[in-house]
Amino acid sequence: MKAARNPSLAAGAAIVAFLVATAIVGPLLATADPLAIDLANSLARPSLQHPLGCDVLGRDVLARIVYGARLSLGVSVSVVALSMIVGSLIGGAAGMAGGWIDEVIMRGVDIVLAFPGILLAIALAAVLGPGLMDLVIALSAMGWTTYARLVRGEVLTLREREYVHAAETLGARPGRILLRHLLPAMAGPVAVQATFGIGGIVGAEAALSFLGLGALPPTPSWGNMLDAGRAFMLVAPYLTMAPGIAIGTAILGFNLLGDGLAQIAGTRS
Amino acid sequence: MVGALALCAALGCGRPAPPPPRFLQVDIENSPTSTDPRFATDAISSRINELVFDSLVRVDRHGRFVGQLAESFERPDETHIVFHLKRGIRFSNGREMTARDVKYTYDTTINPSSMSPKRGGFAELKSIEAPDDRTIVMTTYRPYAPAMEMAMLEIVEEGTPLPRKSAAPAPAGTGPFRMVRYARDDSAWLERNPYRPFAPDAPMGIVFKIVPDPTVRALELAEGICDLAENNIEPEVLPYLISVPDLEVNESSGTTYQYLGLNFRNPLLRDPRIRRAIAYAIDRKAIAASYLRGTARVASGMLAPENWAYDGKVATYDYDPERARRLLEEAGFHADARGRRDIRFVYKTTPEGGRLAETIQAMLLRVGIEVEIRSNEWATFYGDIQKGNFDLMSSRWIGINDPNHYYLVFDSSMTPPRGLNRGAYSNPEMDSLLEQGATTIDPEQRRRIYARVQELAAEDLPYISLWWIQNVVVMNRAVRNFTPYPNGSLRSLAEVKLADDRARGTSR
Amino acid sequence: MIRYFLRRLGALVPVAIGVATLTFAMIHLVPGDPVVAMLGETAAPADIAEMRTRLGLDRPIAEQYTAFLTGLLKGDLGESISYRKSVSSLIAERFPATIELTMAGMLVGVLIAFPLGIVSGMKPGGAADVGAMGFAILGISIPHIYLGPLLMIVFSLDLRWLPLTGRGGLSHLVLPALTLGTALAAVIARMLRQSLISVRDSDYMRTAVSKGMSPAAALIRHGLRNAMTSVVTLLGLQTGALLTGALITEVIFSWPGIGRLLIGAIGARDYPLVEGCVLTFALTYVVVNMATDLLYAIVDPRVRLE
Repeated sequence: MKAARNPSLAAGAAIVAFLVATAIVGPLLATADPLAIDLANSLARPSLQHPLGCDVLGRDVLARIVYGARLSLGVSVSVVALSMIVGSLIGGAAGMAGGWIDEVIMRGVDIVLAFPGILLAIALAAVLGPGLMDLVIALSAMGWTTYARLVRGEVLTLREREYVHAAETLGARPGRILLRHLLPAMAGPVAVQATFGIGGIVGAEAALSFLGLGALPPTPSWGNMLDAGRAFMLVAPYLTMAPGIAIGTAILGFNLLGDGLAQIAGTRS
Repeated sequence: MVGALALCAALGCGRPAPPPPRFLQVDIENSPTSTDPRFATDAISSRINELVFDSLVRVDRHGRFVGQLAESFERPDETHIVFHLKRGIRFSNGREMTARDVKYTYDTTINPSSMSPKRGGFAELKSIEAPDDRTIVMTTYRPYAPAMEMAMLEIVEEGTPLPRKSAAPAPAGTGPFRMVRYARDDSAWLERNPYRPFAPDAPMGIVFKIVPDPTVRALELAEGICDLAENNIEPEVLPYLISVPDLEVNESSGTTYQYLGLNFRNPLLRDPRIRRAIAYAIDRKAIAASYLRGTARVASGMLAPENWAYDGKVATYDYDPERARRLLEEAGFHADARGRRDIRFVYKTTPEGGRLAETIQAMLLRVGIEVEIRSNEWATFYGDIQKGNFDLMSSRWIGINDPNHYYLVFDSSMTPPRGLNRGAYSNPEMDSLLEQGATTIDPEQRRRIYARVQELAAEDLPYISLWWIQNVVVMNRAVRNFTPYPNGSLRSLAEVKLADDRARGTSR
Repeated sequence: MIRYFLRRLGALVPVAIGVATLTFAMIHLVPGDPVVAMLGETAAPADIAEMRTRLGLDRPIAEQYTAFLTGLLKGDLGESISYRKSVSSLIAERFPATIELTMAGMLVGVLIAFPLGIVSGMKPGGAADVGAMGFAILGISIPHIYLGPLLMIVFSLDLRWLPLTGRGGLSHLVLPALTLGTALAAVIARMLRQSLISVRDSDYMRTAVSKGMSPAAALIRHGLRNAMTSVVTLLGLQTGALLTGALITEVIFSWPGIGRLLIGAIGARDYPLVEGCVLTFALTYVVVNMATDLLYAIVDPRVRLE
């Protein structure tokens, strides 16, 4: 694929690669401790020593952004992986089994989908309490349905293909057919979905942390940094700009990458 | 549909009406917990209630008792106080105030079935009688030094129902204003009490607008929408507000005491070495100098130096993290590779207190103590604190006058709902000292007793003293002759003058 | 037509019950003790027991569920612990504010999207197209939690053109509506552009031009007409995002709607109110979806026959 013909892919991949590098390598390179308070530097403006300035407790903003990248990507990838696995298995089972099992599962999906946007995640996070594990569970609970529907649809289509008929005739169990033949065949659409999914979850995690339902202080999350920065918009607007741009860039990167992948896979997003 | 929406928005559906011309707007950060003075214990409720109600006596700017509803008062002996009420004072509904109203207020507050949080303060009151319409006699069980404190209860009209059963925004009071409207989380509207004289250039009313967002409060001040905000502006925003020509910042010594409360129900906190370690781990000077921007003085105890019973010669805990670590080692908690000891505390706070919570969390982590912060809005936080649902918490005592406040917070019998000993601290020596302090009438002897109380409090650390906080009032220059009180009272708003050339901004 | 309507209505009921059940299940069946999660480990056993009784959690689960459903049918959602008022009255008070914000966001989204989409679609590949689509991809990527404060900083704090927070007159609605509507605008603009591009090479276009109509006019007339159904579809699909977007925007701007009520209720551990708000959002969404489907059935007869 040429960069000129697929600018989305190129740009998206570049941004995502940068993010991943930041998340993995950044914390090792960062000289400042994101948790270390330094009261004398409260609300320090950007300088050589603190390129993005300091927050109200004197913590280095750049270090917190870098650690925030690790948290955002870590949570998002975990959530998408969990949603994908759970969703694919459920959707696949529905597609393979057919009949009333399929009906019941699809009704279940409908009910979960009846909750708009991140409402379900908010409600679950409220009930489960704060904490990263609970955050991942809450976010996964809303994400699995996309993969369930996708995989079920693909299963229903692919089932009619000959090689599946052959496998069934040879007596392979439905589970085996699903895992060995069908799931690998749908890697393309699922990968595209997953890419957009990660972008979406980065946004959702930020929103939940912003609302106080996700990562708690002092853990730096772009979302809770943005929330904390709001109190200082009058005197230190850069405290909201930095995490905001980080979140926007991450989502942009994944959206572009997803667009690019969709072009390759031939499916419209 | 779209047209209807546009029309509605343009007409300002749901737009709150701006206050009329000669009204003041004061921005507050939370809703008052109660507009009935028999039940309100928090600062914001007090600020509002002080303008709507009067009490038998008040404390003036210098901490002396002056009569408010009482023309004069005397103590014929050690267990009686007699108050002679002023004549011609009327409630905002026109009825004349008599001793029967006073007695009714006290009776309903003290009655156990009312469940008033102020009950605990009247435990020593044996009876309150109204022998005639102009006289009130208070009798205590024993000689009770802080008896005059009991005369500070704000008076409501005889027959006023309990808050839950009342539809009115607030009871009728004899104060300079009356409450005409109250919407929780929105605003409280006060208008003049027509039966109290006032100067022609004084405000006709006050709107207390509830604005939880500190940036909005600062903006409203800068734009002239809000006329006054007290103790709720972030210190780092003050320089910005000072630079606004129409605003002035009035900073005065406050007796407000900020402390870290410890819950003795947690066995770890019953170990004095751990409490001392926490005290040594907090760098109070650095916090005061940095983000508190000098609006606080490091405190040695609950009584500020302005208090007559103040004694500064007590144990202090200057920042010494090494010593803290040694104490924790002694207590048997050893640090692992990351420097953490197996000690974990739950710290309850409100969003306003979040910054302090995170700072303390970071400082305690340096010595190996892990702190988990749980932040909730004020009413939930207050509920948790009252029920002892915390390990650590930070709060303030505002308006401490008589040192008998120590009894309410440190006596072992005064755990909520009876009193304010939220940490369930219990020390027989303290109990005995507090008992003596309350029943000793001679001021010099009392002073010595409370000196020992302050010493013991500093040794035992039921509270870790943090700071005495200045009162910082930001107000529009159009408001003249404002008088600050050490306890932060806004009572002088009844007498301030509004400049003639003041125009209400159309930016509402 | 009526039969279709009744059929859709019939399908609505099980979904509504399912939504109510899931909401109930979240609060009551979450692993671990929900009351301990609410009050924390340091709470006294007496308080935990009291809260449990308060919430009716000490009754058998089947009984709780039945009570919940019957209450729901009567419109009784219980009493709010923090406000001491009925949950339904609190929600009724604040519902109009959320509707106002959501509608305004939708309006802003459409108003911004049309010029952008048209300008890009008319000359794909041109400077305007690149600019507009650049804006669109940004609009999709910038989250509400950043756009809101950004707009506040620029228009409220720096320029002082608009008020910072709260609900009031038209000026209070501008920033929240912009925050909410921008992402929607980006999505619609992209779709409009697509629509216009696909129309460019159609027979209709050639015919119209040969008859003397200017290409631009023909494009706009036919392209937009074509795009209408897609815009409506898109609005329908985006309602979910719009509703939760409104929730977040309300918190950012202290807008007194159901979203802010919900987040406040979570902070106050007011579980009856949390339940009521979640139900309101979900059921609103379900009803709006059904309405969109019905709109379709009116517009496109083929749908009815399936």
